[in-house]
Amino acid sequence: MRGKKSQVTRYAYISVASFVLIMVLWEAFCRLGFIEPIFLPSPSQIFSRALKMYDQGTLFLHVIASTRRVMVGFMVSSLVAIPVGLFLGSSRFFKAIFDPVISLLRPLPSMSWIPISLLWLGISETQKYSIVFMGSFAPSLLYIIESTRNIDPILIRAAENLGATKRDVIKEVILPGAMPQIIAGLKVMLGIAWTCIISAELVAAQEGLGFLIMNAKEYFQTDTIFLGMLLISLTVIIIDVTFRRIEGRLLPWTR
Amino acid sequence: MDKVGSVIPEIEVRGISKIFDTKEGDVVAIKDMSFSIQGGEFLVIVGASGCGKTTLLDLIAGFTRPNTGQILLQGRDVSGVNPQCGMIFQQYALFPWKTVQENVEFGLKMKRMPKSERKTIGKEFIELVGLKGFENSYPKALSGGMKQRVSIARALANDPKVMLLDEPFAALDAMTRQVLQEQLARIYEKHKKTIIFITHSIDEALLLSSRIIIMTARPGRIAQDIANDLPHPRNASVELSARYTELKREIWDTVQAEVLKSMELEAD
Repeated sequence: MRGKKSQVTRYAYISVASFVLIMVLWEAFCRLGFIEPIFLPSPSQIFSRALKMYDQGTLFLHVIASTRRVMVGFMVSSLVAIPVGLFLGSSRFFKAIFDPVISLLRPLPSMSWIPISLLWLGISETQKYSIVFMGSFAPSLLYIIESTRNIDPILIRAAENLGATKRDVIKEVILPGAMPQIIAGLKVMLGIAWTCIISAELVAAQEGLGFLIMNAKEYFQTDTIFLGMLLISLTVIIIDVTFRRIEGRLLPWTR
Repeated sequence: MDKVGSVIPEIEVRGISKIFDTKEGDVVAIKDMSFSIQGGEFLVIVGASGCGKTTLLDLIAGFTRPNTGQILLQGRDVSGVNPQCGMIFQQYALFPWKTVQENVEFGLKMKRMPKSERKTIGKEFIELVGLKGFENSYPKALSGGMKQRVSIARALANDPKVMLLDEPFAALDAMTRQVLQEQLARIYEKHKKTIIFITHSIDEALLLSSRIIIMTARPGRIAQDIANDLPHPRNASVELSARYTELKREIWDTVQAEVLKSMELEAD
């Protein structure tokens, strides 16, 4: 055990060292004048930009704006997709009814919804939510329908044999049985939701991480662009880690 | 004592047939089968693989409907899945996301029984199958034998009139199987359920049953219907008795003929 643990720490040290080395080299190349700051700013420039924006109070404004949009859009989409998906997954009849619509919606990239959403909803928050919703709903739905297919039919029989009604079966067997796959699917969808919101903000927004980097482009603020990209990356990582933590608690029987 | 109860059979199978349409055409799984079971009988059905034993159990449980004929449970037509017939599957069919306690309580929960009452009954049946201390374990942490005990407790807790067991011990090792057979025999004596038990082990049939039905090769029909008059408890000395050997030979002769037939069928 100890041997394995010390090995893990050793690899962690290697990763940290490699990160520091890259940063040092990047900084050095910029300072020595090999690279124009307007083309690629040095890490210290990006860092001081972050400090400046923090002082102005605008740093987290954009992070919060984007995160809120993703969360609202993603939650609404999940809250609709999970029950509808479970229902369609357990009824061939209704799945047949909705199949054509889903098949047509699914291939549409979220960006293709931007023009019509702008016309319908204007440059509003609702429009941002709707982009996240449209981008993640159809794939989520398909994922959830698919996850109900992998439930051992014998468990459904066992439940019915013990007196479960159709509704009991959905609640007691299909939902928990599909849960591990639903969660795995939602994790992927959360990534897609971030792609949706950044593209929506790149096109039309007054705040948010997508807006931040697009707006900085207008003023040739490459340090702000890189800072924005870094913030997008960090935010997604933090949310992903949090999601992983919750996942274990939601599925105690898989541990 | 109860005159009506002894007149109406617990289960009556009347001329049922079951046909499956497969890619290769219609397969007659069961053809024109009739028999009846009185309350409290322990019926073991023996037959070669693919003779329609499981199909018969599915029909009695109400999972599928016969193409012809009908099945009566206490005089009433079986028209859907019926909780009065508790099923025990070879693959245990425990809910992996529920603890032992929650699995055993499942039938009671479906009856909308209050939680505290459920818990008491659940505990009682977990103790009955000797799994006290495992109430909060998930099925994943249990051995095959323990899983099947949970499954038996789950069916019993629901208090069905009839218990249907589909080769319940086939996947277990010999020692565990023997322990569970003895446990089931005790439960049968104590709770007086009507039991239909499917197996391909003649010894298991002789050890447990009060009556044995041997099915023919496909299409399934009754080849032989034997009352098992071996004395209880069926311990080692019974297993060595002349009557045991005699019954075993009689059953084996029939089964062997049917196995050979079914092998010829498969070779076609």
